[in-house]
Parts: sequence; structure tokens; C-alpha cells
Amino acid sequence: MEIIKRLYGEVTTALEELDALLSYVFGQLERAGNIYTLVVRWVFPILSLFIFIRCLVPLLHKGKRGGAWGYLRMENGTTFPLVHWENSIGRGKLSDIRIELPVISRNHAVLTYSNGMWKIFDLGSGGGALVNGKKVEKSEVLGEDDEISLAGVKLTLLPASQDSACPEIPQRSGFDRVAGLGRHINTGSTLLLIMLFQLLGGLQLCFSMGDKAIAAPPAAVLVFIIVEAIYFILSDRHGGKYLELEMMAFFLCGLSLFIVGSAAPVTVFKQLVSIIIGIIGFSVFKGLMRNLNNARKLRYVLAVLAIGLLVANLIVGEYRYGAKNWIDLGFISFQPSEFVKVAFVLAGAATLDKLLTAKNMTKFIIFSGICVCSLVLMRDLGTALIFFIAFLVIAFMRSGDIKTIAIICGGAILGAAVAVFTMPYIAARFAAWGRVWEYADTSGYQQTRTMIYAASGGLLGVGAGNGYFVGIPAADTDLVFGLLCEEWGLIVGVTAVMIVLVIVIFAPLTVGRCRSSFYAVSACGAAAIFLIQSALNVFGSVDILPLTGVTLPFVSNGGSSMIASWCLLAFIKTADERRRPDLEDIIMEELDELTVTEGNDCETDA
Amino acid sequence: MKLMHRRAVSVLLLSAFFGAGLLVFLARYAMNSSTWAQYPVNKHIYSNGELIGAGTVYDRNGEILVQTSEGERQYHSHQITRIATMHAVGDLRGNVSTGVQRVFSRRLSGWDPLNGVYRYEDGGAAGMDITLTLDAELCARAYQALGNRKGAVGVFNYKTGDILCMVSSPSFDPQSPPDLEADPEKYEGVYLNRFLSVCYTPGSVFKLVTAAVAIENISDIEERIFHCDGEVLIDGVRVTCPMAHGDVTFEQSLAHSCNVSFAEITGELGARTLQKYVDDLGLNSAFKVSGIPTAAGKVDVSEAVGADLAWAGIGQYTDTVNPLNFMAFIGAIANGGKRVSPRLIAENRPFSEMFTSIHQIMPEATALRLKDMMRNNVISNYGEYNFSGLELCAKSGTGEVGGGKAPNAWFVGFLDRPDCPLAFAVIIENGGSGLGAAGPVAGEIMQEAVRIMG
Repeated sequence: MEIIKRLYGEVTTALEELDALLSYVFGQLERAGNIYTLVVRWVFPILSLFIFIRCLVPLLHKGKRGGAWGYLRMENGTTFPLVHWENSIGRGKLSDIRIELPVISRNHAVLTYSNGMWKIFDLGSGGGALVNGKKVEKSEVLGEDDEISLAGVKLTLLPASQDSACPEIPQRSGFDRVAGLGRHINTGSTLLLIMLFQLLGGLQLCFSMGDKAIAAPPAAVLVFIIVEAIYFILSDRHGGKYLELEMMAFFLCGLSLFIVGSAAPVTVFKQLVSIIIGIIGFSVFKGLMRNLNNARKLRYVLAVLAIGLLVANLIVGEYRYGAKNWIDLGFISFQPSEFVKVAFVLAGAATLDKLLTAKNMTKFIIFSGICVCSLVLMRDLGTALIFFIAFLVIAFMRSGDIKTIAIICGGAILGAAVAVFTMPYIAARFAAWGRVWEYADTSGYQQTRTMIYAASGGLLGVGAGNGYFVGIPAADTDLVFGLLCEEWGLIVGVTAVMIVLVIVIFAPLTVGRCRSSFYAVSACGAAAIFLIQSALNVFGSVDILPLTGVTLPFVSNGGSSMIASWCLLAFIKTADERRRPDLEDIIMEELDELTVTEGNDCETDA
Repeated sequence: MKLMHRRAVSVLLLSAFFGAGLLVFLARYAMNSSTWAQYPVNKHIYSNGELIGAGTVYDRNGEILVQTSEGERQYHSHQITRIATMHAVGDLRGNVSTGVQRVFSRRLSGWDPLNGVYRYEDGGAAGMDITLTLDAELCARAYQALGNRKGAVGVFNYKTGDILCMVSSPSFDPQSPPDLEADPEKYEGVYLNRFLSVCYTPGSVFKLVTAAVAIENISDIEERIFHCDGEVLIDGVRVTCPMAHGDVTFEQSLAHSCNVSFAEITGELGARTLQKYVDDLGLNSAFKVSGIPTAAGKVDVSEAVGADLAWAGIGQYTDTVNPLNFMAFIGAIANGGKRVSPRLIAENRPFSEMFTSIHQIMPEATALRLKDMMRNNVISNYGEYNFSGLELCAKSGTGEVGGGKAPNAWFVGFLDRPDCPLAFAVIIENGGSGLGAAGPVAGEIMQEAVRIMG
């Protein structure tokens, strides 16, 4: 304890001396700083667009071909590869294994793989399912060479090692060609570019502070760059995983350090620590989720914790900016609703067999109801809306039932109308919406200032640390888009928003490759939360939506939000099953392409 | 998993809404970002509601009328010049709506879509500079000549349109504004540029308009002899002259400003003809002086008959004219009937003369005849010795305003000198006689103008 105290003391004095040095140096370098800003304000937008494209293209790439967990062979020799942990069998168009025979039901059965075991579930089909002539009541474990009979159609399960001929014909479209470029993009170089962006940005912050320079912001940026490097080295890149999701989050977190470094330099270390905790949380979640049984158990633990947190919040929480959504433990204060998001997404997830058999979601609906109601009671309407939309997405993913969703929506609108009439403060919040310029100095103050300063930045920005928007309340949280546009320019601001959008869109595009629908549902739930939260933040601050006061994922100043964002990203990451093709594969693929092209040439010659 | 893939479209659908929202924002940004950035609370451009981060405004000789130095807006070093050019340059808070700082705030603040408000090297002027056609020294002299009287003075080059002098009184020192509320009588309408934004009863200067119509519509006007007994009854209503002028020619009736003669001429012309000419001459139109709008005068004789019509032809009745607009009309007389639009911003771009707007508003012969008559006014009536060397052509006016107040004193005219092609308009509110009050002011300013141009 004594040692820590002494160490702390020494670090503090060292930092103070560093502050003095920096303030002297950068105070002297005013002219150099001006020239520096003149140059880098062009570099940042170009670099950010470059990073954006380098992250986007690999995400579109389908990854390595093949890789089946087993095969299902019909009597006539037709073989189906089992590419997921959960495979639906049926006559319907959306069945993973489609057997177009009239005796087979639309959703006949589900074949699952977990803990090295294959299981078959009968989905209450008309024709029924037999394993070795025995009727499957609910589910049955399958062994090798077991004979499955679905309404008389005979099928045999073959293990993955028997790489029976199942050639995949490469189908190439223009989109695939663009996406195919992704395999050449080196993630390491992308990370280097991100680090360069962050280094230049940190220096810009020093210059803009001039003789008021302190060590905290540049130090935080440097530490963060080291963290990024460590993550990259420790990451599963030899396993061939794509790391672009993390790269995009790193880029956004870098921006958040600059935002905090400009608006509230003394709290920049807090933000850094939050990012690091977030990255650790991300890695832990990713690890836990890999095992479906763990994930399912975790779900209940987190659900209970979440309700506990919300109840605690309602009892001991305190009001900040008109919402009672903070808990102050003395040494640390946090927003419980941010962590509940993680539990919420997990609570909604389900495996395909559950999803196709048990259609009721009573538990999930009750849990959602508790969450949304508590948030309304806390007067945190923005977060309540985020939960509600995420609920709709998850419910649709699980049931596919548009009718029920419509009924729920209708009920919610009715409830909202009642709430607006009975609680006048809600209506007051929306009074300025759409005409903030008429209330420019009262209820439209924050939105008008956001637009004024966003416009002041132009396309290139006035340079980090040179803005005036930081003086507006919540400039680095709810109105962070305005701060980005003022100091970094519209290009960087919109790129940051587009990065969030790409993370979101990636989720629905990748779920078709998921092993389990558990991951698919949670990825889409997390994506929905990112999406609605970003929409409320960005569009709320510029008066396209009412201003509700929520954070922009990965960018806004705020520890709880940052950690929760990383944990939510873990769900999308888990759903990403792609493997990077190694060099051999790339050469093979290119040879294929070459042959196709030559073939075409021959035809032309003839 | 295909099922999941299909249902995940719900997220894509929401993303599409997000994309649409982003497009809405970008469209609004493209259309409004300039207005947003100019909003007077933007600390990049304003401090305490005062414009700071803006470019320099120069006069025609490169004198700095206002600039930003050390983060503050600094006006000209001489107080009289500051006060005299206040309406043209504008105050710090943008209360003078026709001031250059208000009208050209976008250009001065230097905002552009690419760079926003960013400018290399902070602390100095961020924006672009503007050079005015004004001569600061002449403005100061004009303001002093007005004394404490309310009114306006304008001088412009009728060949190029450059406004050399534009002064409105009352004014104040924009560098340290006094308590305007304390003396509402003294500072009545202080934020109005009276030369651009106010219309006055013209009185006898309007006879120039009636005379122009008469030259073109009454073929034997030059042969006519009018008889003045000091008053005439039209439909039983009396139209009076200050004195009985006896038998006068057309030229003499203008020189003596004989109301009886002009009542007869107006009656002969008729309301419709007069109205058509007034509209064609542009006296009822609002001008744009380098983009700054002026107030439109109003001469409406559609309902006027008898004595009302006669008074309308003499510049009374309900007639009002805008000083700048009337000065441009005088310039057209001087310039062979071609009216050059007055301008306040010196355009340095190439071929700028091609963009100068010139209108032939009356035949050259009419303009020449009016010029001779105005020259005769000075020689035979106003006294050449009062305006020696100016080659002055002029007309005085005394606009009765009623209500027991002294009339508005007008003096308009131009120099018939190729080296100094200047036209002017002087108006002094409740100043009394046109020749007595406004005449000497005009004489002093024009002598100064000739000295400056020489």
C-alpha cells in the first residue's frame, strides 16, 4: 500500500513537471502550431476516409470458402453440407437444408451441434422423425451412421472428416469482386494508419493548447496507441479472424480521446481507463460467448443483475440533466442503464430449436417491460426508446411475426400518448422540436448551437482544441456530433457516423453465416441498439429528431457508455464466423479467376 | 440460418431510415450552413454580440474604416469620420440593417463551405476585406456641414456610379455608442440610413420630373408664356405661389419655381401621363445599391384631380421620393439621360464596367434641355458667386410637411464638368427653405469634392 502511495506521488510530480515543460514548449511554438494545423486539417479528413474504406472493404468479404461441421446425405447421393451449428430441415424456402418433397413439412426438424454432439429436434412435423426406426419425441442424440428418417425420407449424417465431394461452385458478381479486394488489405497497415491519425491528433491537441498545454491528453493518446498495438499482437490473427470491427472501434475511441482532451482535458484518463476496461470486457465476452452453454447460463445471471441494477437505480439513483439515471457510489458514479443494454441483448437471444418450437417469449417480454418502465420512471426517455426498438428487432428476429409486432407498436404508441398527456414534462421536452431557431436561446439552445458550430467547422474543421463549442453544456456527450464537425470538420464527423452505421449494417449481413441463431439474434439486437442510439444522438442534436440526451457509441465522453459499447460489439464480433483466406487460398482463387478469363478470351477468338 | 438472415432485414430497414436522416441533415447543411455560421452568437465571429472575427472595410483611398485588431473591432481613428461613415459601415451590433457589416457579414466573416471560419493565424482578421467607393474625408466634411440637423447627403459619380459620400444624421460613434435611450428626440431613427431607407416629400425638386414630362408631351412648351398672380383657383381650390411672378417662360418658371405655372402644366399633362413617366423614371421603385436595398418612393396620382393633381406636379400632395433614387435621376439628367446605378462597393474584378447597370431613362434631348434649365437656375436665381467654379446645375426644393413643422429643405444638382462628373442630393429635415438651408451645405460639400478629385 505504502509503495503504491509513493509511486502515485512520484507519478503525480513527474506529470506536473511534464505539464510545465509542455506548456513552455508549446507556448513558444505558436507559429509552428499554426502551420501544423494548416497542414493536418487536410490530412485528417483524407486519412479518415482512407481508414474508413480500408475497414469497410474487408467487412464485405465473404472469407474463406468451405468449412462444414458435417454432411447430411440422402439415399440418392445428394449431400448437404452442415455449415452451421444449427440447421433447419424442411420444405420451406428459408430452410437451411431444403428437401422439396411433399411429405416434408415446411419446418420439419432442426439439427444442432454442440459439445461435439449432434442432436435432432422434431418441430412437431406432420410426417414425424425417426432415428434408427425410433420416433423422436422432442430431441434425440445422433451417433455416427445413425439413420434418420423424416417422414420416410432417409438421411445419413457424415462427420466432417469425411470430406466427401461437395464442390462449391464459385459464383462471382460485381459486388463480390469489390469485396474480394478485401483479402489484399492488410489489417496491420490499417492499424498503423489509425495510429498515425491518433499521433497527429495528439500533437494537434498540444499545439492548440499552447502555453496551457498539459500532459494528460497526449499521454492518454500514447497509452491508447500502445493498447491498440498490444491488442493486435495478442489477437487471434493467426487464426485468420478479421479484425476490422475492432479497428473501427479503435478509430472511434481515438476520436473520443480527442473530444475529451479538448472539452475536459482533466478527465481524459478516466476515458482512457474506460476504453481499456471496454476492450477487456469485449475480449471476455467474446470468449464466454464462444461456448453456447456458457452464454445461456450467463444470460440468466445478467438478467437478474440487470433488474437489480435498475431497481437500485430507482431507489438510490440521482438526477442529472433531468433524468434519474446515475448511481453515485462515492468513489465512482455510473449509468446502470448502459450495462442493462448488454443483459437485454443477451436475454433476447435463443437457439434455433427453441426459436422454432417454443414460440412464446413471455419471459423476454416481461424482462423488456420491466426495463422500459423503469427507464420511463427514471425519465430517461431516450434510453427507454432505445430499449423498445431493440425489443422490437429482437422479437421479430425470434418470431418473425409482423402482426404481433404491429400490435405491440400500437400499444406502445397509445401508452406514449397517455404518458405525454399525464406527464407534462415529457411534452415540454418536445416543444422545440422542428423549430429550434424560434427558441434559439431557450429550449432550442443546444440544438441551435450544435448547428452553428458544426457549420463553423466547414468540411475540414478549425482544428482540434481550437473550437468554442466546448463551452456548451453536454458538448462532449449528447452534442458530440457538433464538436466533431466543428473541430474535425464535416468529413471526419460524417465518417465517424458512417463507421457506426457500417458496424450496424455488418450484423444483418453476417448472420446468415452464424453457427447459431443465438449469435444471430444477439448481434442484430446489439446492432439495433447502436443504430437507435446513434440516430437519437446525431439527429437529436441537429433537430431532425427530438433531443433526448443519449451518447454516441464509442465517441461520447462517458465511461459507462464506452464499456457498454465495447461489450455490445462483442455480440456482433461473435456472429462474425468468417476466416481470412490464407495466402494459398488467395493464389488458388486468383488462378480460378485467371482460367475463367482465359476461357472467355478463347470464345472471343473463335 | 437462412431464416435469421431473412429476418435480419429488419435491421437493414432501420439502417435505411438512418441513412435517410443523414441525407436530410446533409441537405440542410448544404442549404443553411452559411446562415447557421453567421448566427450572432457564434463566438468565432462575434463576442458579446459584437462582430469581431471579420475582415477590414476600406474607403476608396485605402483608409481603414473598420478592422479587427487584437480580437476587437476597431473603427477609423478620427471620431468625426467614424460618426460620418457609421451608417455606411454599420454598427457592431448590426442594428443598422443597411450597413455593410450587416449586409456583407458573410463575406466579411470569411466563412466558406470548405474551411468554415478557419483562417491561418489566429487573432487577426479572419474574413475577407471590402473596399467601399466612399471618401472618408468627404463624408466627414458632409457630416460637419449638416451640423446637428437631421438629414442626409449623398454624392455620386454619374459616369461610374461610385458613391463618394453618403451621410445620415443623426449618427453616433460606433466605437463607443452613447446611451441612445437617454435622448430619444436627438437620436430619433438613428439606426436608419436616411439617404437609403427614408422617403421625403420632395417639394419643388419634383418640378424637374414634371418639366421632363412637359418637354416631351407639350410640343410648344418653349413658346408658352405663363401668367402668375401669386395664386390660382382650380375647381375652387387655391394653389399658391410665394409671390406673383407675372409673365414667365417655361425656363423662368422653373428658375423661380413658380407653382402657378406648374399647376397649369400638370393639369394639361393629366394624371395618367404623369403617372406613366414617374413609373418609367423608376422613382417608385426600390433600388439595390451593391446589394443593399433602398426604400421605394411613392407618387400615386391615380385618384388625384384638380388641385390635388396640381399639387402632385409640384411635389406635394402625397408624393414622397427616396434621396438616393432621386440623386440617380439627377445623375441621368447630367449623363444625357443615361442613369448609372449608384454603387457602394468598389469592384476590382476585371470588366467590372460591363456589370455596371446603365439605363436610358429619358431621351438625350430632354436631358440636355433640363441641364440647361438647371444651369439657368443657378445663374439667374441661386447666384453663381455662391457656387463659383463648380459649373453647377441645380434645383432647390422646400417640401411642406404640415403639422406646424418647418418644411424639408432640398437641394439637388450636379457639376457639368467632365473632370468632376458628380451629382448630389442634400435633404435637411425641417430645415426651412431649400436654397437657404440646403444650398450652402451642398456648395461646401461640392467644393470639397472638387478639391479631393483634383
